[in-house]
Amino acid sequence: MADAPTPKMFAIITCDKNVVTSGGMAPVFVAPNEIERDRVAMWICRITNATVHDLHNGAVILTVS
Amino acid sequence: MSASTPPINWAPMIVGFLAGFVSRILYLKSGRSHYPGYPSGYISQVAMAIIAAMIGSSIIVALIGKQFTAATFLTLAATQFRDIRSTERSTLEQEEKLILVPRGAGYIEGIAITYEARNFLAMLVALATSLVAEWIWLAGVIAGIIFIVIGEKLMSGPNLGKLVDVQPAEVKFEKGTLLYAGPVMMMEVGLADSRERYRKEGLGVVLTPKNPRGEAALWNVAQRQAIAHEAASAVGVQKDVGYPEQGTLCRMAMPAGTGQAALTIIPVERDMEKLIQAIKKVPVLESGKWSRMHNTKNRQEQKEETHG
Repeated sequence: MADAPTPKMFAIITCDKNVVTSGGMAPVFVAPNEIERDRVAMWICRITNATVHDLHNGAVILTVS
Repeated sequence: MSASTPPINWAPMIVGFLAGFVSRILYLKSGRSHYPGYPSGYISQVAMAIIAAMIGSSIIVALIGKQFTAATFLTLAATQFRDIRSTERSTLEQEEKLILVPRGAGYIEGIAITYEARNFLAMLVALATSLVAEWIWLAGVIAGIIFIVIGEKLMSGPNLGKLVDVQPAEVKFEKGTLLYAGPVMMMEVGLADSRERYRKEGLGVVLTPKNPRGEAALWNVAQRQAIAHEAASAVGVQKDVGYPEQGTLCRMAMPAGTGQAALTIIPVERDMEKLIQAIKKVPVLESGKWSRMHNTKNRQEQKEETHG
């Protein structure tokens, strides 16, 4: 933590398909609503030791540092 | 060594040895670095203390007895103590990956240097004391006590409490997901579950520098990592591997740049007073010890306030 880590985007989970295009960098999971999105986000981040960040446009990103 | 040598005066050696040994043992309390903690750690430190005190106390006696070879060998032995720093550093570095809130490289180096310096100090105290005790042994005892006190004074650096004011702060979220401790933004917490944990169980403190030296200390990343580590080891942290966003953070008030820092933690023991005391006792790291920074931003604001 002392040296700032460089986070890598690990996955994108969205309930609005319009805000993401699949760029090949990280897998995109589409959820029907925000509750389901948060559930999936939490599930994946606990499994992969990732951190969840909300972009406030319907998408959350998971980063691993 | 042969029969022709004059009888050895043991008093300076004994007095010098005791003074050096006591000066090393006095500092062997594990409070701040959490090392040594186990008997094995203590034994290796005590053994080093004995060797250091013996080297220091016997040099003068060897020189007076015209045993120059012995004196040269003793100085050679003293160089062995340089290894202490690297031993200490590697021990602490190996632990680093297994601590939830790491110490950080700056803190580790500080601890390692202190341990090394402590042994050399024990040697010097023993040397100086035996020099006085060679003259009158009772004067040596008094000089030994004085040297120990002076050594303690010289070796104890300032604590953060002298340079920085620590106050409790409210843990809150702004713009939905941004975690704040008082006026300082800490991080973005995307998981509703983690936000709830911060709201319910989180503690926050704001660190305001009292003077330019405190300001410089807080801008030091290594210093803030040391603060986070000490805070977490005092009140515990409810975090495990796989919960990166629930760790202890110590960050500056960043876009504002006021020189304030804040710390958020989800403690095991919810005790604000203990947390504040722990932060105040954090040693000021060597890298930021003597530098000063006058925050011009704050000065301008103060001027505006007084004028308006």
